Amino acid sequence: MILGLDVGGTHTDTVLIDNNEILAVNKIPTESNLVQTLKTAINQAISDVDPFQIERLVFSTTMATNAIIQNQLVETGMIISAGPGIDPHLFAVGPAYSLVEGSLDHQGIETWPLNKKDILFAAGQIKNKGIKTIGIVSKFSVHNPIHEIQIKKWVTKEFQHIFLGHSVSGSLNFPRRITTTYLNAALSKMHNEFTAALTKILDEKGCHAPKFILKPDGGTVELSKSNLFPARTAQSGPAASVMGALALDKCKGTTLALDIGGTTTDMAVIVDGVPLRTPFGIRLGNFHTLIRSLMTHSIGLGGDSEIKVNKNGIFKIGPLRKGRPVALGGKVPTPTDAMITLDLLNIGSKTAAIKAMSILGASIDLDAKSTAEHVMLEMGNAIAQSVKSFVNYINSRPVYTIKEVFYEQKIEPERLVIIGGPASQLAKYIGESLNLPYEVPAHAEMANAIGAALARVTTEITLQADTRRGTVIIPEACFSKAIDPAFDMDDAVRLASSTIREQALKFGADPEEIEFSVVEKQNFNMIRNYSRVGQNIRLKLCINPGLLPEWKRNF
Amino acid sequence: MIKAPRRTGLVFFPAFDWAISPTHPEREERLLYTQDQIMEEGILDIDGIEEYRVRPATFEDIRRVHFCIPNEEAVTTKSHLISAGGCMVAADAVLTGEVESAFALVRPPGHHARTVVLGNRGFCNINIEAVMIEYIREKYGINRIAIVDTDCHHGDGTQDIYWHDPDTLFISIHQDGSTLYPGSGFPDEDGGPNARGSTVNIPLPPRTGEKGFLFVLDELVMPILDKFKPELIINSAGQDNHFNDPITNMNFSARGYAALTSRLRPDLAVLEGGYAVENALPYVNLGIILAMAGLDTSFVKEPNYDRDYQEQPETITRYIEDLVRDLKDRFLKDHKMPYLKSGQIISRTKEIYYDTDGIQESQNERIRSCHDCAGLLSIESRSSLGLHTMAIRIPIRACDACQKMGSLWYSKALKNSFDYVYLQNRVQNTYEVF
Repeated sequence: MILGLDVGGTHTDTVLIDNNEILAVNKIPTESNLVQTLKTAINQAISDVDPFQIERLVFSTTMATNAIIQNQLVETGMIISAGPGIDPHLFAVGPAYSLVEGSLDHQGIETWPLNKKDILFAAGQIKNKGIKTIGIVSKFSVHNPIHEIQIKKWVTKEFQHIFLGHSVSGSLNFPRRITTTYLNAALSKMHNEFTAALTKILDEKGCHAPKFILKPDGGTVELSKSNLFPARTAQSGPAASVMGALALDKCKGTTLALDIGGTTTDMAVIVDGVPLRTPFGIRLGNFHTLIRSLMTHSIGLGGDSEIKVNKNGIFKIGPLRKGRPVALGGKVPTPTDAMITLDLLNIGSKTAAIKAMSILGASIDLDAKSTAEHVMLEMGNAIAQSVKSFVNYINSRPVYTIKEVFYEQKIEPERLVIIGGPASQLAKYIGESLNLPYEVPAHAEMANAIGAALARVTTEITLQADTRRGTVIIPEACFSKAIDPAFDMDDAVRLASSTIREQALKFGADPEEIEFSVVEKQNFNMIRNYSRVGQNIRLKLCINPGLLPEWKRNF
Repeated sequence: MIKAPRRTGLVFFPAFDWAISPTHPEREERLLYTQDQIMEEGILDIDGIEEYRVRPATFEDIRRVHFCIPNEEAVTTKSHLISAGGCMVAADAVLTGEVESAFALVRPPGHHARTVVLGNRGFCNINIEAVMIEYIREKYGINRIAIVDTDCHHGDGTQDIYWHDPDTLFISIHQDGSTLYPGSGFPDEDGGPNARGSTVNIPLPPRTGEKGFLFVLDELVMPILDKFKPELIINSAGQDNHFNDPITNMNFSARGYAALTSRLRPDLAVLEGGYAVENALPYVNLGIILAMAGLDTSFVKEPNYDRDYQEQPETITRYIEDLVRDLKDRFLKDHKMPYLKSGQIISRTKEIYYDTDGIQESQNERIRSCHDCAGLLSIESRSSLGLHTMAIRIPIRACDACQKMGSLWYSKALKNSFDYVYLQNRVQNTYEVF
């Protein structure tokens, strides 16, 4: 039996799944105390279940997101070595940001050595502020982590927790590497306390099954391993929905998944069962990070959005939400009131809903029913419009090879899968506006918790080999070694394959479920003075977001 | 988050799957380290810098500029079409007002490609700036355009294309042609009979440094631009004047390029040459992007700058001062031009060698002297490929007389035994091949 739990802004949903059946679902309001919310949700979800029967628990929480937005980060120092480029002072973060001597060039070759005295001085200044946690980041450390590793060696006795930049991601982006390392470091204390509290709740219940946390890329990581990269657990909500859509529908071909909530509608594209991911990383508050996420787009349009109408009879829905629908005691007309008026939904006071619609339509001489119908059409059109610009955005991503310019297929959704509260009421309107077939799967309103429950472990690695320099590096695995000039792409693929496997197992993957794909594979001849002096090999492998194998067998 | 004072578009197309030949300098690896530097700096996260996806140019776009012999398929590859199309994307971004300026960081380059194209010269097949400019004229109706070519090699292809066009100012700053390929670009090459003074060549001696380039820019280039009053300034941003470049002898630097870009403030910049792929391009391109966006460039510096950069010798400073004095006299003072009657036909012959493809071409060019437009042009070409062709151009906004004469020349050419006859009619926007 699997327990899936998704903490949302308003509701916390739980689901119990066994033998490919959804056994029970539960919804409670989210309280301001996260641990308390989790405790209540878990208690209610497993009240009728023998805790020993639970084999797996997965949580999609808001801990990291809240901590960042509410600025509950622990004081964290940063030691940074930069080199030529944009002024590194502009990337300053945290209360103690220290620039030190030393730099590497774009190939990871040292162009300015570190200065031990300078580094110890910087460390001393940070320590004098009472700071116990630091991040160490050097520019181009993903092409050569030697400076970060050396700095750590020199200052290791001075601090309790040290986070290194090259391990957060294999992607190049120095400012994002700085912020991501900072966030991991600054969240670590709170995250440790949170995972300890959660483990305690479960231990008291007698649940000792493997525990996982959902990440914004739609994958999971074992709870105890999430402490290595706490920021990777932020903003997993949209991913939970997408994984839910994938779990409830086959998502064959090119599917556009829509999750319609009270305040927002989120969308994502799934191609042959694999959700598209963003090239860089999520934004958390004001921080741009290197944390991978699914490519989702959110618009301020939901069941409880405010509706306005102007003199020309143009309806404007959202982006604000001003409390509850009129039928449920609110003051501002909402699409939910329109649904109630049209008998698509049976909650609250229908009289109040009808009254809200007739007031809204009065200025343009429409009765309540016609007004409600207009609202639904307008909502369908507005969502359809956003879908089109989202797809257009995906198709206008820059590409760097002739092959991609001429032969890459454009993304064109063939069907819609619609989940979330008002999914069934709105599906027809959106589908007709986009002229696409649509599906509202059973349990659509609990898709997020289901998605969390069934998501598998994901990870990615980046390999760079330079045969002229004689090095191969996999920053995410903190791996580097010397290679001989004959090292080629086959060797790279072999090395990367075994590394990603180890990495996945470390994060809690089931050995049976490890399936990875090659995201990037490039091999450059390095030419100097009309002759080949080496190979520059670049390889990125990833375990795509996907569902547990046993669930897949169901289809 | 960093905010750019000037909204800037970036079109990046490194053509990671294309090279002239396996060990040629114009190779897959050329922009790899530039890409790494740009990505690592987080350039694309800067508020106000927008990256655009390339699209290929069409043959129609190329036919506004070139006569490809025998046809476009034979002398272009997909990469050329994308490189030219990338410049057009950059132009769209600027002219629709989405950004204030844009940089097309694309390859392969184009400034050695002339009006007639038989193959590859100096790594170029298609003149990507010219394809962009004629697209701008066609689509946005912009007329007066200035090109400042800062590649180390004389932009002889661009010069050839705009030799007769009084509405295009072409300024080339390059290493003296007596010391470097293509061996042209001397001050007396100053434009055809209908466009005298709209071609400006500034040959600089080997070892010219930051001081010399910026002196030339401030004292000569900017005043000439002020006088011409272009609606658009385009920088052919070759990067081989760099002190680390393996195939040239100049002494420019990333901070020099950044300063030049800040002062020139081009609306559009297009990458041309530059083959110090590891120790110049990443820094120069970064400097250009930051300068275009109006951001601080004081931390952009080659790792070996302090060790290897050398100030230009005093003798060179004096040489450049003298040169600038002469050129100021030639281009900034009003000279009485020899009077040519409208309708007079002036011809010249040219010998052209396509170094990459080993083709020898002889051209006989005729221009109709005209007081009302850029003038009717014809180019008769014979080449070692064994082809004998006639190409006729009726220029954009051609006067009635030139248009009528153009039709006459075309029908006359059809009666001769040319292998191909081409008519590029920019008034009717047609291109005919017979």
